[in-house]
Amino acid sequence: MPVVSTLAIQKATVTSGTFRNEVRARSGTDARESTTMLQLEGVSKRYGDLEALHELSLSVRDGEIFGFVGANGAGKTTTMRVVLGVLEADAGSVLWNGAEITFALRRRIGYIPEDRGLYPKMTVLAQLDYFGQLHGMRRREARASALALLERLGLADRGASQLQALSHGNQQRVQLAAALVFAPDLLVLDEPFAGLDPVAVDAMSEVLRAQADEGRPVVVSSHQLDIVERLCDRVGIINHGQMVATGTVTELTDRGPLRFWVDVPGAAAGWYDGIPGVTLVEQDGTRWLLELADAASEQSILTKALTIGPVHEFRRDRPALSQLFRDVMSETAIK
Amino acid sequence: MNSRSLVRVIASREFLARVRSRVFVITTALTVIGIAGYIVLQAYVFNKSTASLDVGFVGTAQSIAAPVRAEAAALGETINVHPYASVAAGKADVQSKVLDALVSGPPTATTVTVNETLDATLRTALNDSVRETVLNDMLTQHGIDPATVDNAIASASVHVVELSPVDAARLQQIVIGLLVALTLYVTMVIYGQLVAAGVIEEKSNRIVEILLATVRPWQLMMGKIVGIGLVALVQVLITAAVAMVVASVTKLVSIPTLGVDVVISGVVWFVLGYLMYALLFAGAGSMVSRQEDVGSVTMPVTLVLVAAWILALTIALPDPESAGTTVLSFIPFFSPVIMPIRIAAHVVPFWEVAISVVLVAGTIFAFAVIAGRIYRNSVLRIGGRVKLGDALGLPKTERGDPTNATM
Repeated sequence: MPVVSTLAIQKATVTSGTFRNEVRARSGTDARESTTMLQLEGVSKRYGDLEALHELSLSVRDGEIFGFVGANGAGKTTTMRVVLGVLEADAGSVLWNGAEITFALRRRIGYIPEDRGLYPKMTVLAQLDYFGQLHGMRRREARASALALLERLGLADRGASQLQALSHGNQQRVQLAAALVFAPDLLVLDEPFAGLDPVAVDAMSEVLRAQADEGRPVVVSSHQLDIVERLCDRVGIINHGQMVATGTVTELTDRGPLRFWVDVPGAAAGWYDGIPGVTLVEQDGTRWLLELADAASEQSILTKALTIGPVHEFRRDRPALSQLFRDVMSETAIK
Repeated sequence: MNSRSLVRVIASREFLARVRSRVFVITTALTVIGIAGYIVLQAYVFNKSTASLDVGFVGTAQSIAAPVRAEAAALGETINVHPYASVAAGKADVQSKVLDALVSGPPTATTVTVNETLDATLRTALNDSVRETVLNDMLTQHGIDPATVDNAIASASVHVVELSPVDAARLQQIVIGLLVALTLYVTMVIYGQLVAAGVIEEKSNRIVEILLATVRPWQLMMGKIVGIGLVALVQVLITAAVAMVVASVTKLVSIPTLGVDVVISGVVWFVLGYLMYALLFAGAGSMVSRQEDVGSVTMPVTLVLVAAWILALTIALPDPESAGTTVLSFIPFFSPVIMPIRIAAHVVPFWEVAISVVLVAGTIFAFAVIAGRIYRNSVLRIGGRVKLGDALGLPKTERGDPTNATM
């Protein structure tokens, strides 16, 4: 079954052929289902001579996990700080359900900053109590919520420990608990997977997925593109303070040329020559990687291949997000 | 959630985290032990000077034993008389410190043997007694009754008119003024530094960014100042209570002399002085990111406090009534240390205190604005020291470039 995709991306403009048409038909329903909760419009920020953000816009919809990727210094952290109000933008606006965000609404955001921080000598529970109360919970409510979270994060027995006595991974979980303890409406997490082992990454991913499923959108930034690819519903790629691409992972990977792997044992070189708009990219034994020009149809390749012999594989070739990321980086660098 | 309850949540964390810490318990215990020990020591020294002296009298010297004892008693000192048969035996007892002094020889050639120095009161008593004995002998030789002369002398005395009588409790008042001022000074320096260190701690462990996503910078700063101030207040009150109880038990200072007004005004001046300086310490602390820098960045503030203390020692304490002391007590930076000295000496009219309180309150308000601004502009800048101009949020163009600066 073809992968669901949209054509919201500027680059994939010209379409023809059954594959792309089907994709377009499906994409319409997706957009109507969800509403935009957090929106940035034309946000710019300057540090002296350095332009950290240049008219950056993005939107995060209800119940989705939005992955924010970009090189070091691309502006991810600055964007998150602007969302939290820790940093003031020079221009542009941050909207919450369509209206300008306020301090009271910002207090409803659960935040893990790039530079982690909790009180090393405070116990885990006291710490969570404190954050609950800072967000307006009563002491008892905060305690109940903290205990439930520790249970959920597998830290039930560490409540009375000082934070500094915990392992790095567990400290990270407490950091997440501090962001969740007051039941926020939105999560903004700067590099939440940094320094975690694969098991901890999975555990963190599960918690984030559960949060999103409860209708709480999650914005995460990460360098670990494989995690982003697996976890995020939509991805935004930022470079030099500008959003260069947004979309679902499949939307983004659709940006490249349309390529198919065809495994036809017994096919001779140049078997595809008669099909208009098809060129060879690579041959690997009996497997052929063919690229289709915009006007070409993949169905004609399959039809042709079947006339040669049994087709063992016929698969769309998608670049990994990391490949795409590198492509985008080099494209924008050239610009 | 309103601002006041947010400040309260922050302040109570600061307070509890510190009061429960081992450092607080240990420093409070040490301070209490130190103060109590000092007072007990003072009381011991004070009592020892009024203790009785053991004086030996040999042979003819025994004739002056009774007058010496009477004379010493009149001067407030008790003398135990021990008759001795030989000088040698007496000297041995002086050497072994059984005796404080040994008196020997006839009145015209009296010798006193002591180990190190002769007690001043005993010296006066001995001199007076010897002179009187000699005088009486001479009078008798010339046929005059010594008793008649004594009566005539006793009835002749100078009538003293005191134009500005010195209060008997004056010395105690100065001691109390010193203690109050010292306590305020030390507490402001220590707890001011703690405020700066607390601000830097939140910067260096990066928690400040999460906090500022939730609370406003001034709420965070005020919460910290109030929380740490309450810790200081608890410590000061514990120390003061212990000092007062120990002092009154050992009869060094009587509680009525101490005066409830002095204690209350001490607390009020502590609150005012602490607030004024803590704001400066908080603002200064927010400009750096590492604990090592706390000393250098708070140096200017500490120096002002040290100056206040030096002025208190050199000008206010020696003469609480001087014009210099009066002027200093109105300068807001110095009021919290100087004014309590004047209050303890009971030489300041109420309206003067009221004016200086208003001046300090105004200064606190101004500092709150300035420190709040510095804190807001600096607390999220992790890394090097924030320049004062940047911290105050002055636009670069207004500051001008160094080449045409007028400063």
